[in-house]
Amino acid sequence: MGKIVGGFLVPHDPVMFVAPQAPQEAVAQRMWAAFATCAQRLAGLNATSVVVIGADHYMLFGTGCLPQYLIGTGDVDGPIDPLPGLRRGVIPDNQKLASFIAEHGKDNGFDWAVGRAFTVDHAVAIPNQLIIEPVRAQGQHIGTIPVYLASGVDPFIKMRRVIQLGAAIKAAIEASPDDERVVVIGSGGISHWVGVPEMGKVNEAFDREIMDYAVRGDLAAMEALSDDYILANGGNGGMEIRQWACAMGAMPGAKGEIIDYAAVPEWVTGLGFVQLHAA
Amino acid sequence: MSRNVVEKLLYQLCIDRSVKQRFKEEGDKLLARYALTDEERHWVQTFDVAALQKHGVHPMLTMGFWQENAPHRSPEAYMKALCPELSATEPVFSAALKQ
Repeated sequence: MGKIVGGFLVPHDPVMFVAPQAPQEAVAQRMWAAFATCAQRLAGLNATSVVVIGADHYMLFGTGCLPQYLIGTGDVDGPIDPLPGLRRGVIPDNQKLASFIAEHGKDNGFDWAVGRAFTVDHAVAIPNQLIIEPVRAQGQHIGTIPVYLASGVDPFIKMRRVIQLGAAIKAAIEASPDDERVVVIGSGGISHWVGVPEMGKVNEAFDREIMDYAVRGDLAAMEALSDDYILANGGNGGMEIRQWACAMGAMPGAKGEIIDYAAVPEWVTGLGFVQLHAA
Repeated sequence: MSRNVVEKLLYQLCIDRSVKQRFKEEGDKLLARYALTDEERHWVQTFDVAALQKHGVHPMLTMGFWQENAPHRSPEAYMKALCPELSATEPVFSAALKQ
């Protein structure tokens, strides 16, 4: 029987890689250090697998097929969008547990789309490289299980559904036959506007509102956020708080601890780092 | 309204090297394969990302389409095309993957 031993809510900001010098140096260093802190804390959790919940940026899935939620059950590699300092390569997986989560979901009302040989984008590749790889480098064997939600490209998955999906992930892990120690990572920026005239705007008030819900583990408040409210206050990129809600849904009762936060217009987002402590 | 087919085209122009090359070399023939209106075809040919967005086309695709295919692919040029009123002295912050 597996269990979820911890979680993190983090950004996956590609601009950190393509324009690392853009913000003030002290701010940039703090953000890189926040990822390093997550890695250190992950090491202490002795995880065997990490479920990384991301969102497509209209580069993995096209108009021909737009899954509401998908899990990579087979080989994993990526990112499809390599960046300076983020090379494409094979990502260690956990096919047995990922397949079990998919099958368990199908038996319980969650018809996962699956990727049997799946290439992730930066939404999964960045936390994999900055949080999980440093722990692997210390000798821990950790499988990455990618999950994708429809939060970047419409039709968007409903907030209620991502919370339910998080609970389904938890139930599957707890029903799995192996003694897996699993960490969930909700990977998404908070407020950001992508490709639109407001690009570069950051709404710190919205960011702090969402982090406050994460600290209190307030799933009801997350579920109550309407798409119109998120789009108006968090931008089209702010829809990625669905990844946070899904991770929170996998850890009901968990309290969050803010590791760091900065509004960084040069990196076009509010970067929040929260650790979820299992109840 | 054929936002969907415009997005199908722009998606391919973001990720498929052969489609990008065909767009560059014989754009009219490529665009003839898609059920675009004359107006939509014009917006694509002229990189009118502002008009495409007003038409409902997804901004991640307009940005990707621009950075993969436009004659001047910088984030500054994209933002200027999107917001012609933008002052040249205003700093441009962009989520583009190529800067």
